[in-house]
Amino acid sequence: MNRWIILFFSLIMTGAFAHGQKTHSLGDEAHSIRDSGKTYHESISVIRKMHPEFLNHKRDKTLREGVRTEEYSLKGCVTCHATKKDNSNDYHSVNSEGQFCSTCHKKVATSMDCFSCHRTTPAQGAK
Amino acid sequence: MEKTINRRDFIKTTTATTAGVATLATGITLTTFVNANENPVTNEKRWGMLIDTNRLTETDIDGMVSACQNEHGWGSDKLSTGDQKASWIKKLKVKDTATGRISNLALMCQHCEEPPCVDVCPTNASMKREDGIVLVDKHLCIGCRYCMMACPYEARSFVHEELTDQKEHMPRGKGTVESCTMCVHKVDKGEQPACVASVNSDAVIFGDLYDSSSKINQTLKKVQSTQIRADLNLNTAVRYSGI
Amino acid sequence: MSIIRYEQTQGKSLGFYALVAGLGAFILAALGSVYFMEHNGHHVTGMSNRIVWGMPHVFALFLIVAASGALNIASIASVFNKKVYKPLSRLSGLVALALLAGGLMVLVLDLGRPDRLIVAMTEYNFNSIFAWNIILYNGFFVIVGVYLWMMFERRMNKYSRSVGIAAFTWRLILTTGTGSIFGFLVARQAYDAVIMAPMFVIMSFAFGLAFFILVLMASYKWTARPLGDATVNRLSNLLGVFVAAVLYFVAVYHLGNLYLAENSGVENFILLDGGIYTKLFWYGQIILGSLVPLALLYSPATKGNRTMLGLASVLIILGGLIQLYVIIIGGQAYPMELFPGKEILEGYGTIASYTPTLPEIMLGLGGVAVAIIAITYLVKFLPFLPESLADDVVDPHHKK
Repeated sequence: MNRWIILFFSLIMTGAFAHGQKTHSLGDEAHSIRDSGKTYHESISVIRKMHPEFLNHKRDKTLREGVRTEEYSLKGCVTCHATKKDNSNDYHSVNSEGQFCSTCHKKVATSMDCFSCHRTTPAQGAK
Repeated sequence: MEKTINRRDFIKTTTATTAGVATLATGITLTTFVNANENPVTNEKRWGMLIDTNRLTETDIDGMVSACQNEHGWGSDKLSTGDQKASWIKKLKVKDTATGRISNLALMCQHCEEPPCVDVCPTNASMKREDGIVLVDKHLCIGCRYCMMACPYEARSFVHEELTDQKEHMPRGKGTVESCTMCVHKVDKGEQPACVASVNSDAVIFGDLYDSSSKINQTLKKVQSTQIRADLNLNTAVRYSGI
Repeated sequence: MSIIRYEQTQGKSLGFYALVAGLGAFILAALGSVYFMEHNGHHVTGMSNRIVWGMPHVFALFLIVAASGALNIASIASVFNKKVYKPLSRLSGLVALALLAGGLMVLVLDLGRPDRLIVAMTEYNFNSIFAWNIILYNGFFVIVGVYLWMMFERRMNKYSRSVGIAAFTWRLILTTGTGSIFGFLVARQAYDAVIMAPMFVIMSFAFGLAFFILVLMASYKWTARPLGDATVNRLSNLLGVFVAAVLYFVAVYHLGNLYLAENSGVENFILLDGGIYTKLFWYGQIILGSLVPLALLYSPATKGNRTMLGLASVLIILGGLIQLYVIIIGGQAYPMELFPGKEILEGYGTIASYTPTLPEIMLGLGGVAVAIIAITYLVKFLPFLPESLADDVVDPHHKK
């Protein structure tokens, strides 16, 4: 039994320590918002922990009820958190290796199902 | 957690105030704008389309098809062959067997009031919005294709291959079913569906079927129109005149 | 009736391991096919937007239909109190569960998103016949499981009749549900018929029994246990009746359809000028799958011959698969009637083409292999089979 408790807590702690990692994959726009001293999400820990719930709630609102506000829209996530490729106007996919979504998701070993359908780069980057 | 709830409450109040102000200011457009974005759609509206096959030229139909492809990003399947390719809107040429009269028309999801695809879907992925637009919730779609079996118009396509570089407003993915959305993302912004906008004449009219001041409502009152497979009593939102 | 003793099979012979290895190879091939299909997407299959359900569904529906039919032997014993069938009840329950498991595996692994199976278990649309079927299938596992327990556990034996009645009712509803998957597709001329449901029930009787007979004869032969003619001949007669009943339903279904002008197009297609589907219907389903087996079961020259009974059972199973192929694929290939009184010149209205690919067929055969391997192992671990089904054991009034 104790073994399971230890295992459980170490899994939980992994999430908490995700704070500590470098933010080189934060995304271009998110970077500039942070550098300008502004905040977009009022609490990093809340958005970190709760973003799946926010996104799921929002997706039902938008798809089923036609509520098209910007808050918690996946489009918004991708727009801010995508990083441009070096010397290019194209973006890396947010879910590709080393990019914003995959760094954490890989660390906590959870898969995400958003990008089997959703676009992975901001629309402006499209050719 | 506490913070989130506060934030939600805050937004709720703000929304209410915004809506209130908009109504006070009597801008009908303003109210519509608020409705279209922040409040759920209601069944006070029912979006529909009237296609006049007498006026619709073959070029118009080709234009409608490519407008739909550009808007939603289908039609460039690399690996799918033949009937596996996505087809949200089709061009049909129909001949009356008795008189030999030929009409051309565009066939897409008819956005039924009683959609068979919604009835048969085991997971509620096939769904109808309150304003009558029939959609696939791809978050819930398991790819069983029962809706495709049930649809009388063969309006739905199954994504047979991996896709990338989708349109931002139109998520599409391997293993799920898709079909005409009546350009719901544009309609919610108060715009016309892409195929309707692509036709220069009044051969295709889009609007609220319930609104007696809308052009579609008034035209439908005047002209003789039909529903395809009217015998099934599905009460489609897409109507045709001239066939 | 003397007391029936049940005993596990030994399952140590070379033959046993050869059988398991052979079936295992089929299952591996099926899993490989699934990986190939799911990794690439369904474009590697013959299925399309016109033929949305293909070979996997032929196998899946065959197995599911046969599953409920295989339970009939147990039902005849406990519901209708026919003592001769009693010793076969346990095996009947097992074959039913195994076939259903195989069928569901095929059905699930062909989904566009099999990884989302959990959605199918948590999101129910109660208007959907598919959703009812999910409940019916899961319930079948539970109810037949309990039924087997009542039969195995001596102190529970007294409840086996009431549970047996419940299981029998459940399986009738289940097959009705499976038939209704097609029967309620009002848009398609080939399917929109209430008779689909009872026809599927009768089909299940025939296919399930044919499969059961093969399992029974093979396991008794391979374990060298006595299997008397009293049992086998009864099953053989019953099988003949079921096959004739399927023929009757097929005839009524097509005659009924012919009567409706709206459906005459698709009827002509299946019965007269549908190319491969017409050939499959007449040569495969009617002659090979029904008339030949009937002749083998009833003609004095072959009656009572076990090899011929085995051959008849195999033909009935093949005929059943062909019948489902004609219903499922043929029914989709013929275009729907969009504009009555009009001819579609362009854009729609052609016969859809379908060529099944190897991965689809392997997936289907994998389902059959899963069913057989489950039976092979379970008869080894639990006493499903009576150690003797010799005539004097089964029937005390048997005259030597």
